[in-house]
Amino acid sequence: MPKHIFRLVSLILGFLAVAIVAKPFLTVDSFYRFGHYRANSVTEIASQEPVLQTANYCKDCHTERHAQWSASSHKSVTCEICHGVALNHPEKGKLPIPKDAVKLCALCHEAMTGRPRTQPQIQVAQHAGGQQCTVCHNPHSPKIAAALVRVSGNAAAGKQKAADCAACHGTAGISPNDTWPNLAGQNAAYLVRILSAYKSGDQKDVAMTPLAQDLNDADIQNLASYYAGLSCKGAAGEKAAGDIAAGKVLSKNCVACHGETGIGSNPAWPKLAAQKQGYLANALKAFKAGLRKDPMMASVSRGLSDTDIADLAAYYAAQNCQTTKNP
Amino acid sequence: MNKEDSNPTLEARRGFLAKLAGAATCAGAAAGAAALGAIPTVSAKTEAPPAGASFPTKDYDWTKHQWGFGVDATKCIGCLRCVEACKTENEVPRNAHQFRTWVERYVHLEGEDEVRIDSQQDPVNIEASGSEKEFRFANRYKDAKVEKAFFVPKLCNHCTHPACVQVCPTGATYRTEDGVVLIDHGYCIGCRYCVQACPYGARYFNEEQGVSDKCTWCYHRITKGLQPACVEVCPVGARVFGDQKDKQSPISLFIRNNRVQVLRPETGNAPNVFYVGIDKEVN
Repeated sequence: MPKHIFRLVSLILGFLAVAIVAKPFLTVDSFYRFGHYRANSVTEIASQEPVLQTANYCKDCHTERHAQWSASSHKSVTCEICHGVALNHPEKGKLPIPKDAVKLCALCHEAMTGRPRTQPQIQVAQHAGGQQCTVCHNPHSPKIAAALVRVSGNAAAGKQKAADCAACHGTAGISPNDTWPNLAGQNAAYLVRILSAYKSGDQKDVAMTPLAQDLNDADIQNLASYYAGLSCKGAAGEKAAGDIAAGKVLSKNCVACHGETGIGSNPAWPKLAAQKQGYLANALKAFKAGLRKDPMMASVSRGLSDTDIADLAAYYAAQNCQTTKNP
Repeated sequence: MNKEDSNPTLEARRGFLAKLAGAATCAGAAAGAAALGAIPTVSAKTEAPPAGASFPTKDYDWTKHQWGFGVDATKCIGCLRCVEACKTENEVPRNAHQFRTWVERYVHLEGEDEVRIDSQQDPVNIEASGSEKEFRFANRYKDAKVEKAFFVPKLCNHCTHPACVQVCPTGATYRTEDGVVLIDHGYCIGCRYCVQACPYGARYFNEEQGVSDKCTWCYHRITKGLQPACVEVCPVGARVFGDQKDKQSPISLFIRNNRVQVLRPETGNAPNVFYVGIDKEVN
């Protein structure tokens, strides 16, 4: 063998020998345990701590919220989607309550090309006049809760009970004066809600509170069914005390719940069409002053002047109450 | 000859090589026996661990699971909460270009043959998000005549025969017994061969750490009985995860009750992310 070839071959063999000897020392222990990788790295990755907590983490302290949320249509939207990562909470401070609800809610509910039809979607610019979503919707239970009130009363039994109400609200639910509301043809679900509120004390009125406290739940259902079934014909009458045209412009902000002419789609909210304008004006003033408590009405009535209120009352009082879907 | 003899560099090199060759020959002979002894030591390490020992953690035995993932594209609303959650959970760089999971939008416009595809990397969507650290789709097709449109969540397919594992030169990426393809960041040398090899573009290169990175199906969560972060936060149930060995798990039911497909089956990677409700353009 020529000398230079011998040198080359011995060099290669030398490197090979060094490599074979060195490899066990340079290979970490767990490397070939399961294959051509370091088994310990699996343990390392598996041992990392989770960052996102689940809703169960929040449950123990925020019990009430958790119960409300987990019974709602938003139960698939976990706490941390809106409030951020709960890791280190509460040790290291509070979690944020989102300030810009419109921006946050629009992530899922903005009408967008490609979203499945089953997803509830809105045109953000045309929905609720740019108000924060939380004015009307509770993010932990976003469906308007009062809509779920079920009315299954007996109208005949309600008629007997209604004798006690006739002095103020009229024998057929049409009030004889401008201050007390008409009840004929009003939404039954709303009547149940408002009577229950008087009974529970959530809403107070010198005359209504003691009367409602004497009613039991069946009475309330019966009364609501009776009045809802009456015809509102002949309800309107008085001369407008405000500017109807101006009221119509202002009513744009009320359309979402009360409909264009004061007849809304949701029975939880009162019909306003042909209601007594004195009553409407007083109710709005009470909401504005915080005497009647309703988060939705408080925020929409806040910016109204006394003139605006008179105009709105005149507008709704002048509408036809009989253009309902369920005459 | 004279010239060569007088060249000190060449002489030094020759001397060095001669010494090295001598040393190597000696070492080779001496090491022969040692090497023969060492080889069995290496092969001994490929043996399975003693029976009964739980691996990789004491509360989790990877031989009892075979994970799988389902995506129902008909449910996805493109809210990108999965992307947000994944970035938070796994410390993925906060930008619109590196993702472990992402969502694509496929839009067929009237009169166009080609489908339009956009994702969070699109400048229009970055602008709608406000910054590269937030994620939302721009409402860019609201005035267009759209024939058909849908969102498709994407992530690592955790293939049964992963091309990325095959090409890794250092054994830094591998497939676990329970069917998850992982990356050993300590052994990754950042050559990016795997990034190139993946037919799904599921891997990205993390410049900060100098390593390749990708979805792990939140291995640190699933080994603790939790769901992957993206599945946990998905508000519409478009992402499904579970154990394929458990016939009543969400993924087993998903595969059984739907007509599912995988992306690019022709590549032979045999993905373990199963899709429902996608067109042939999705791959």
